[in-house]
Amino acid sequence: MKLSHITLFLAGGLILASCGAGKDDPGREYAPNMYHSVPYEPLTQITDESSGAWVSSLENGVGEYYNSNPNNPNGMTMRVPPENSVPRSRGGYLPYRIPKDSLEMAARLLVNPLDSTAEVVAEGKVLYTRFCSHCHGDQGVEPGKVGEVYGGVTSYKSAAVVDKPGGHIFHVITHGKGRMWPHASQLSPEERWKIVRYVQVLQKQ
Amino acid sequence: MRKRILNNSLLTIMFGVLFFSFSNQAFAQEDSISTDPAAIAAGKSLFSANCKSCHNIHEKMVGPALANVYDRAPSIDWIKAFIKNPTRVIQSGDQYAVDLFEEYGVYMTAFALEDEQIMDILAYVQDETIKGPEVVAADPTAEGGGAAAAGGTVPTEYLNVIVIGLIVVLLLILGVLVLILNIMKRYLNQQGEMDEEDRELVDQRFSLGSMMRSKAFIFLATFILTALVAKGVINGLYNVGIQRGYAPTQPIAYSHELHAGQYEIDCNYCHTGVRKSKSANIPSANICMNCHSAIKPESPEIQKIYAALENEQPIEWVRIHNLPDLAYFNHAQHVQVADLECQTCHGAIEEMEVVEQHSLLTMGWCIECHRTTEVNTKDNAYYEKLLEYHKGEKMTVEDIGGLECAKCHY
Repeated sequence: MKLSHITLFLAGGLILASCGAGKDDPGREYAPNMYHSVPYEPLTQITDESSGAWVSSLENGVGEYYNSNPNNPNGMTMRVPPENSVPRSRGGYLPYRIPKDSLEMAARLLVNPLDSTAEVVAEGKVLYTRFCSHCHGDQGVEPGKVGEVYGGVTSYKSAAVVDKPGGHIFHVITHGKGRMWPHASQLSPEERWKIVRYVQVLQKQ
Repeated sequence: MRKRILNNSLLTIMFGVLFFSFSNQAFAQEDSISTDPAAIAAGKSLFSANCKSCHNIHEKMVGPALANVYDRAPSIDWIKAFIKNPTRVIQSGDQYAVDLFEEYGVYMTAFALEDEQIMDILAYVQDETIKGPEVVAADPTAEGGGAAAAGGTVPTEYLNVIVIGLIVVLLLILGVLVLILNIMKRYLNQQGEMDEEDRELVDQRFSLGSMMRSKAFIFLATFILTALVAKGVINGLYNVGIQRGYAPTQPIAYSHELHAGQYEIDCNYCHTGVRKSKSANIPSANICMNCHSAIKPESPEIQKIYAALENEQPIEWVRIHNLPDLAYFNHAQHVQVADLECQTCHGAIEEMEVVEQHSLLTMGWCIECHRTTEVNTKDNAYYEKLLEYHKGEKMTVEDIGGLECAKCHY
């Protein structure tokens, strides 16, 4: 009788003491059905339908933690927007539709909607430092730390590119060229045009 | 002895071959490509400015490796013509040019270089060809630095070993002492020449049972046990819902220490949503490929990215920071508007080989920061009116409603 009390006491203590998180263990939650999102949550995916069934109050019979959209490829909760949908943007930018192989046409036709004001160049510099400098280097001449390993990074002052118009630079950021891969998924058209302005400043230095 | 002779003859042959090839080259280009250091230096800077983005001397890149190009190509004049207008040479039906075009699939950009400049570039290419490919030595700073850092403190595994060793030694000493005590007792008993007091002392029996039953012992044992369990329970309760230290094994052994630390890639480059949306975003595989199309594609970990792309399967990273669904948090508000560093909440992420949760992410933790942090109003017209009302005093997040329930719970 007495011994079993002690054992219970110890076991209770041990269970509570093991609530914390560890290497692969996220630990315990207080009120778990307030913790887990029932609507689809981006960057979360739990495909196991029985997950959290023990606290479930859902009428469709799936577990409380289940968070996966069976209608999407791989049950993902996020999906690519429908083709030809146009994101809203403050500057009224329309999606860039000139295909990759039409670099010369882009260079000829495109006009930078942003003037080379000090503000635009300063914002371009911030974006350049975040998105370009690890390959192209701070000045766009000597490659940065990643560029040294990657190899084949174009110097902005090389004869092949130094005189290219802004549309050429915009097209190359969007679609990539040579060894450079497209960066359109990371940069909005407005951000790309700002970077173009800063790159042109670097070329003239 | 015989072996050495063999070695010597091998060496002679090798030197002979080397000498022959060098002299052969020297003879072939005697009247064309310069070995003058000035020309080589000029060629090097021309090469970096114009050729380097597509060509390497010893490695194929966008275009062919250029080592030995002066021997390979039909003639030096052909090289000059090709550099000045590659498209025309290819379209003229020149077999060598057409083969090149078919192999690489791109027209090389035309370069308006002078003949002398092209000769300088060739001088540089020849110099590099003779030097041979650079042998990449293992970076001594990387490993040495790590060892030096580890030398400063004793690793925990060693500490454990030392403690266990000490305990073993102490137990051994205890055993030896008990043994000595027994031998002495037996000796004294055998002697039989002791007065009453001494005899009592020697015959004294240590009884475990009677000690266990003594009130003092029971009280002490209960007290210690209760205190320990209470501490465990309280600690446990405080840890419910706290995931600090959670560092799950990810499907790809990606290291922030390498990418953000050693190579200084900006956080924004991959976490593209951090200034625009609620979530910072986990980069999609195409962002990995911006570099890994060329860097270490053979590594088994990077092969997992290739497999994910080929099979159109998402990479299922394990989410580390799980804010409860009842609380709303927005990255853009904190990073873009408040201009917080990532490290403020995520810790020294650029030093983490495996990412672990650094902060508590409890409500108390949020509130503490909202109480003490001043609002970043720099260049933000939104705050102009508020600043007027708070003229001259500190305006914390709390002062502008940062502790309102509905800011985060709705």
